[in-house]
Amino acid sequence: MELWVGAVVLGLLYALMTTGVYLTYRVYNFADITVDGSFTAGGAAAAALIVAGCHPALALLAALAVGAASGAATALIHTRFKINGLLSGILVMTGLYSVNLHLMGRSNIPLLQHPTLFSALDALNPGLPGAVWTALALGLALAVFWLLMAAFLKTDLGLAMRATGENPRMASANGRNVNWLIILGLALANGLVGVSGGLVAQYQGFADVTMGVGTIVVGLASVIIGESALRARSLTVQVLSVVLGSVIFRLMIALALYLGLNPIDLKLLTAVFVLLTLVLSQRMGKGRAGLPGLTRLLRPAWAWGLAAAILAGLGWWAAQPPGPQSGGQAASPVRPLIGVVQFTDNGVLDLTRQGLVQELRKLGHVDGQTCRLDLENAHGDQATLNLILDKFLKDGADLVVTISTPATQAGLKKITDRPLVFATVANPFLIQAGTSETEHRPNVTGTYGWAPMDQTLALVRRILPGPLKIGAIWDPSQANAEFNVANLRQAMAGQGDLSFHGATVAGTGEVQQATQSLLNQGVDVLVLPPDNIIYSAFDAVVSVARAGNRPVVVSDVELLSHGALAVLGYDYTSSGEQAARLVDRILRGENPRDIPFERYSRLSVGLNTKVAADLKLTLPPEVLAQATVLHPPTETAARTRPAPSPPPATAPAPAKRRLAVFLFADTPIILDALRGVQEELEQSGALRELGLEVSVRSAQGEMSLGQAIAQDLVRQRFDYIVSLSTIALQLAARFNHDIPQVFGAVTDPYLTGVAKSPDEHQPNITGVATFQPVEAVLRTAREIFPQAKRIGLAWNPGELSSEACTKKARELAPRYGFSLVEANVTSPAEVLEGVRGLLAKDIDLFFTSGDSTMLSAFDSVAKLLHQARVPYLSNSCTDVARGAFLAVGPDYYNVGRRTGALAIRLMRGESPQAVPIVDYVPETLFVNRDLAAEYKVSLPPAVVKRAANLGGGQ
Amino acid sequence: MIELTGFDKRFNPGSVNEVHALRGLDLSVAEGEFVTIIGTNGSGKSTLLNAVAGEFAPDLGRVSIAGRDVTQAQEHQRADLVARVFQNPFLGTVPGMSIAENLHLASLRGRPLRPRLGLDRARRQEFRARVQSLEMGLEDRLDNAIGSLSGGQRQALTLLMAVMNTPRVLLLDEHTAALDPKSAAQVLKLTSQFVAERGLTTLMVTHSMRQALELGNRTIMMHQGRVIEDIDQARKRRLTVEDLLDRFAELRRAEQLTDDLLEELRRAYV
Repeated sequence: MELWVGAVVLGLLYALMTTGVYLTYRVYNFADITVDGSFTAGGAAAAALIVAGCHPALALLAALAVGAASGAATALIHTRFKINGLLSGILVMTGLYSVNLHLMGRSNIPLLQHPTLFSALDALNPGLPGAVWTALALGLALAVFWLLMAAFLKTDLGLAMRATGENPRMASANGRNVNWLIILGLALANGLVGVSGGLVAQYQGFADVTMGVGTIVVGLASVIIGESALRARSLTVQVLSVVLGSVIFRLMIALALYLGLNPIDLKLLTAVFVLLTLVLSQRMGKGRAGLPGLTRLLRPAWAWGLAAAILAGLGWWAAQPPGPQSGGQAASPVRPLIGVVQFTDNGVLDLTRQGLVQELRKLGHVDGQTCRLDLENAHGDQATLNLILDKFLKDGADLVVTISTPATQAGLKKITDRPLVFATVANPFLIQAGTSETEHRPNVTGTYGWAPMDQTLALVRRILPGPLKIGAIWDPSQANAEFNVANLRQAMAGQGDLSFHGATVAGTGEVQQATQSLLNQGVDVLVLPPDNIIYSAFDAVVSVARAGNRPVVVSDVELLSHGALAVLGYDYTSSGEQAARLVDRILRGENPRDIPFERYSRLSVGLNTKVAADLKLTLPPEVLAQATVLHPPTETAARTRPAPSPPPATAPAPAKRRLAVFLFADTPIILDALRGVQEELEQSGALRELGLEVSVRSAQGEMSLGQAIAQDLVRQRFDYIVSLSTIALQLAARFNHDIPQVFGAVTDPYLTGVAKSPDEHQPNITGVATFQPVEAVLRTAREIFPQAKRIGLAWNPGELSSEACTKKARELAPRYGFSLVEANVTSPAEVLEGVRGLLAKDIDLFFTSGDSTMLSAFDSVAKLLHQARVPYLSNSCTDVARGAFLAVGPDYYNVGRRTGALAIRLMRGESPQAVPIVDYVPETLFVNRDLAAEYKVSLPPAVVKRAANLGGGQ
Repeated sequence: MIELTGFDKRFNPGSVNEVHALRGLDLSVAEGEFVTIIGTNGSGKSTLLNAVAGEFAPDLGRVSIAGRDVTQAQEHQRADLVARVFQNPFLGTVPGMSIAENLHLASLRGRPLRPRLGLDRARRQEFRARVQSLEMGLEDRLDNAIGSLSGGQRQALTLLMAVMNTPRVLLLDEHTAALDPKSAAQVLKLTSQFVAERGLTTLMVTHSMRQALELGNRTIMMHQGRVIEDIDQARKRRLTVEDLLDRFAELRRAEQLTDDLLEELRRAYV
């Protein structure tokens, strides 16, 4: 039931798109390929807005607008510049790819945690099965849409549009502005396509930048199928036929799946089915051409009835038990049905599936005997993925296994009432399967892990010592590829002798060129993080790299024999095996809710000795000893078997201790602090003495990545963690409850909840608190401006740190003989007004301390103050170069050194609980000498002596 | 009613295909005048009609219709003034739309478009009466697609559509040339009838010397993008086909016409 109803729902969702295609292709006689882009644009806009908190219905309006704008763009290019319609469509579709990525800000937006029209619809369900209710509601909505659309085409405007499509000269001669009508028509058509995309994104629970690929073909096929089913002159019936065509198309695919046809053949079947409907309906038309009225009226119904009968007949046939021998087996009472779906054919996913099936057999789950296994493959098609899942539901699968991220993402949406086990998913937290290994959706568990880029990098450095230019290629439209590259860059961060050179591609066709461009930049080695596109064009990479004598290092063992020098990656067979063990536990009665997600444990390290010889590289013996696979196989074949788990690779030397330095973003302040930590570890000799291995991880300013990293640090059981910045502290503290952790570059740790006072803090966490040196600013200001009385202070009461600074300033100002004049601003738009208000109150000096609202308008504020000749005081030293008069800020390099020293104390054996939080504000003074001269202020020698920098310049 | 002053137009300027189609043409047509236009192939007859219809703007010169300067107005912007019937009977109607829908579209000429169901019962009654006046029995087939009609029927409907909102100017471009003789005669009869009833200012291009003399109250002869002969009603009444041919012969003597062209005219008009 779910399969058929699911197909009907999909058909209805796509019907709007099909109507759009009908408008352009039939009414306008315009082969408009924009739809591939506008469909995605609709989905992207809707998803982005829903995530931003917008109402899903409103998001759908935005999808309409974005789609309409795309269509209008195509029409404008076509009418204004007289460019062929097909070409105009291709241009806009191509451009939309970038626009869509911008709209989403990444390549995939999950909507599982957000309200959608469908979750709202579910809430209204009077008690019908979910899919049936959705189909009914959608059917009703579509019926209204159908009548409105048919009526619209009969209005004056609709008539003019139809005339424009069929006979533009006549339309023009009758006073119609043909160009305008084309723009309007294409906007309307693509608006509908956009709405369709927005609906599909809400239905499937995510938007993906590739979701529109092939839309035009589906649309055309649906239009043609519908027209053949209901061959009607009447416009009303024509529009109905388009809606029906969309549904029939989806039912056909469902039928093919139902019959157990290989989804590879689906596209071919589609073509054959469309051809058959065309030919058959022609035949029938000819045979009855001479018959009078009644039969002619009946003809469409005949054709439709026949098609329905064929479909129903096939369905009935397929519904029969598969064969006679099944009767005997039906006797065994419980043979659980396990549905397994992988997204596409690729080595990694195939290995996972093989590992899964083999391990299941070992555990006693043998297909056809003790269980039934239904192995399906969506061959890279999202809609097919949904249909396969519907089929599992229809067949009453007891458990579903999804292999790969897209399959899991679709599974999370569809499979809610029975266990779902995923395998080979890089980061299940990004697709909202859960928030941690133990806190996850009650019916979902699985195995995951992203490529260990830090270990890959370590391997590269062991093979190729010295400074390196590292080249990487990836396809930015793939979320996991972006993520892996970010991990690689993180692993490289803080290693000054490494430089990163990236090249992006949009498809396998660009890989060769991208590789060449990296070689031209003089990279020493190509390190390719997992990326389906790059790996499937790996031979192109190798041919270029070999010509330039450059080694290639990848994460997929399969590629070793294709010419990679070294491979370090997870053994995906083990991912399947681990998933099989989870399946086994669930089948034995455990609740998936209680089964934590598992990270894959087994690593493969592969080396290609032939490539090494060709490149005249000697592989160090310790690297060779680490290898689990050698290519070509040598006498020491004992090594070619996978290493036993747990592998030595994750903990190379038991004596070594591992420290992770966790940053939230690569801002100058944080990088200063990082340098401080590193130099403290180095110069104190702790690095050598303690045999410390340091990994630097940066979240690149991204919250979800930060969470993932924090979880990963805990999972990898690092021995120590140093977190730099307030957010890094908060993120790490949330997951880390036992690893000793030291924080630095934090303004106020007491606001984060980690600590109440220097001595009362989370037992495993201590660190360095660095308040803004408000007092130093006031003190120095008093020295320079002995006459000054009134200090203006503007701040946003919504900012916690700003409030802390203001409180301090209120407390300290009278001590230095100042009176404080305050102004509150709540948004960047109010900043200038606030400062003008202060100037009107005759302030002598102006001060703001790290308030980000104020900083957002720094330049304008500085200009205003300069005109009024009021000196600008600040807590951030970089402000002086931009026009502030005086700044006293913390020196974060020294903060870093202090943080490092604290970490060393813990490593030498002190308990973090016993180490109080240190209040440490190394002050640096910056004065703008140019401004001093201009304002005719003489700087006291004591101040000049203290100043670290007497910069100036506006 | 129609004023063309120094109208000059080159197509594909600067290329080997350059055609100097209209060469500083001056033409003034008074209200209610019915002008027939004759001339050799490529003399600029159809181009003149297209120029009045607004398919292109002149390189030099001006056009005004009914006192309105429409030199730069596009075709759809002057469709409230000008209606036209093409030579090709398939160009004037939309085949996939019904007779009623086509008529309704024509009735909207010169009015803004609205998304409302304008084709109501009253409208259909009105169209039914109008179509009945064609005496082709089409009034019972108002909902049939126009694509199912014959060329003659379609051309008659196009003519009906063109005069429906009583345009200030009617342009007929050899509108009977593609029809069988019987249909042509029928459409021609309707043309005379409509023009007379409504007193329409009309420009009609024809290849039939007889039509040129029998219809209308003024005839102009075009050659190489210019008007070379302008025959008013008084002269026209006395004029015979032979006179016209003599006139062509005269032109030849004045070396304005080559022998080939003369032969062509003879074949076309006699």
